[in-house]
Amino acid sequence: MPEALETLWRALPNLAQDLAVTLALLAPALLLALVALRGQAPWPLARALLIRFRWTNLLFVALMALSVGLGAALLSQERALRQAAARAADPFDVIVAAPGDEIRVLLSTVYLQPAAALPLLGPEALRAIQADPRVSLAAPVAFGDSFEGAPVVGATAAFLDRLAGPPAEGRPWAATSEALAGARAPVTLGQTLAPAHGHGDAAEPDAHSGAGLTVVGRLPATGGPWDRAILVPIETLWELHGLAPGHAPQEAGRLGPPFDPAYFPGAPAFVLSGERLADAYAIRARHDGEGRMAFFPGATLARLHAVLGDVREAMSLMAGLTQALAAAGVLAGLVALARLFARRFALLRAMGAPGRFVLGVVWLYAACLLGAGCLAGLALGWASAGLVSAAVSARIDMAVSAALGWPEVQLAAAAFSAASVLALAPALAAYRRAPVEDLRAG
Amino acid sequence: MRHERALAPDAHDARTPAPGDLRLEGVEVRAPDGRTILSVEHLEVPAGATLGIQGPSGAGKSTLLHAISGLVPVAAGRVTWGATDLAPLPEAARDAFRRRTLGLIFQDFLLLEELSPLDNAAVAAAWAPRAERAAIRERAAGLLSRFGAPSARSVSGLSGGERQRVAAARALACDPAAILADEPTASLDRANADRLVADLLSAARERGRTVIAVSHDPALMAAMDRVIQVVDGRVRQ
Repeated sequence: MPEALETLWRALPNLAQDLAVTLALLAPALLLALVALRGQAPWPLARALLIRFRWTNLLFVALMALSVGLGAALLSQERALRQAAARAADPFDVIVAAPGDEIRVLLSTVYLQPAAALPLLGPEALRAIQADPRVSLAAPVAFGDSFEGAPVVGATAAFLDRLAGPPAEGRPWAATSEALAGARAPVTLGQTLAPAHGHGDAAEPDAHSGAGLTVVGRLPATGGPWDRAILVPIETLWELHGLAPGHAPQEAGRLGPPFDPAYFPGAPAFVLSGERLADAYAIRARHDGEGRMAFFPGATLARLHAVLGDVREAMSLMAGLTQALAAAGVLAGLVALARLFARRFALLRAMGAPGRFVLGVVWLYAACLLGAGCLAGLALGWASAGLVSAAVSARIDMAVSAALGWPEVQLAAAAFSAASVLALAPALAAYRRAPVEDLRAG
Repeated sequence: MRHERALAPDAHDARTPAPGDLRLEGVEVRAPDGRTILSVEHLEVPAGATLGIQGPSGAGKSTLLHAISGLVPVAAGRVTWGATDLAPLPEAARDAFRRRTLGLIFQDFLLLEELSPLDNAAVAAAWAPRAERAAIRERAAGLLSRFGAPSARSVSGLSGGERQRVAAARALACDPAAILADEPTASLDRANADRLVADLLSAARERGRTVIAVSHDPALMAAMDRVIQVVDGRVRQ
């Protein structure tokens, strides 16, 4: 693209760009319509075909709708998943953990996915973080326990405030014996619980049977995996596991920072924030090394998406192939149906109708079916996206909300255009038939 | 410039022939295997005349009608309507000629079942220039009324006689110079056949239109100015 055009393109608002791309995708179909229909009025004849073969036509529309709907649902779902994952990672500016696999730390910290225990960051890491003037929030987080399938996570009140805001019900915790429920955690206000050690089948339900944690508040929904967690002061987890309390004896009962490095038992990860974007970069640079690993969850997620991009392309390819197969099936059917109408077309030719008119009738008939199929496919994609989103949200603990966007509209436009070009095949087949043979066939 | 020569007036004829004047000279139509299936040495039908074509089945009557209408190309000779020789014209030009000059009626009506009688009768408006469409529809409506064809949402419920009246209105809707009919009464009972023949011929004669009909129907043949026989692919006058 020449530079001036590229500049102009970038200056256009997103809506104008999307509209332009959609129109460009529709251009082949519009051009064909202009060539095939110009100066003629084939609609009554095309309508006759639509009425004559209405049940078969409905089947063709349904076939096309299914293929376009499948593609639209896949595209919108994949986008919604990416957006939900990014949204969940948003409050986590920088994560610091022991050197290892960033993705494992990301899955454990942001998405609370059970994993083998992460190595702990000790007092040295805490000292380095406390000495960093750019850090405005430093929250050690700890996980590994659960209650009735919900993760029990240790954190600080300041981090929860950043993650979800103040409790929507009840009050913040005030002691190590108190807990907050995430918006969708399976506990009620006032309930007393004893967490199990570990997750799932490997959990030891009686490991902390002496602990009586009372739920005193419920956080507002964030749409992320932390909504299903039971949140406790990190000091509570240290206490449950018989570790140092994080504070000097004279600070007994204190919850949250500052922690005393001399009494700091360690944490699998810290979530750090700075006041400005530049601070975040400086924090990551400073704490990445010397026995620590610091990373931006968003950047790691982007790398993960890049790897998964191949899967996305494979899905898109499969959706495209499905559409091509459906279109080929529809068009093969149309060739057969147009033959059933051959004597009528022969009559039109005998009356002097130009070959282009017969071509226009069959093309318009096919384009109506394909267009209806693509529109119905978009509607189906929209409806199924909602249902699939609900099912996916329930499975992965993230609020996934898929909605149709321009990519799906453009997918349907591309499918319509390509199928419209292919619809020339049945149209040309009808155009090339010798009228005399069909007239005699009666 | 083969096309222009074909459209030019006949150099041997001083008068300008009317579009409904038909002349066939040395016409041969061949099957794809090269066999001659129709041979006409000479046949003339003046504009406004009516001609009946009779003959046994398979003798070549319909082939003659198709050659006259330009639906099949001729291998030799001339098929001249007025000043236009169809023989050298390409298919698209023969289509255009039929569009302007001829109206056709078939034994089994060939109506579009999903359309109304008026839409069937005015179907030529669908490919006519925009400026002519209203006139075609108006003429079709007048012809339907004249022939007593019922108004209905679609032609699917009409009787055979009613259907053929719609087909006749369709053939005349573009005000053609000639009407070619292939067994127009074969699917009708006597009363409907007689009514159709009377309506068609009176409408044609009023406007001085040529009518050429292939038929086994003696009543129809009796109503024609002249009748020829086609036997074994040859015309006997």
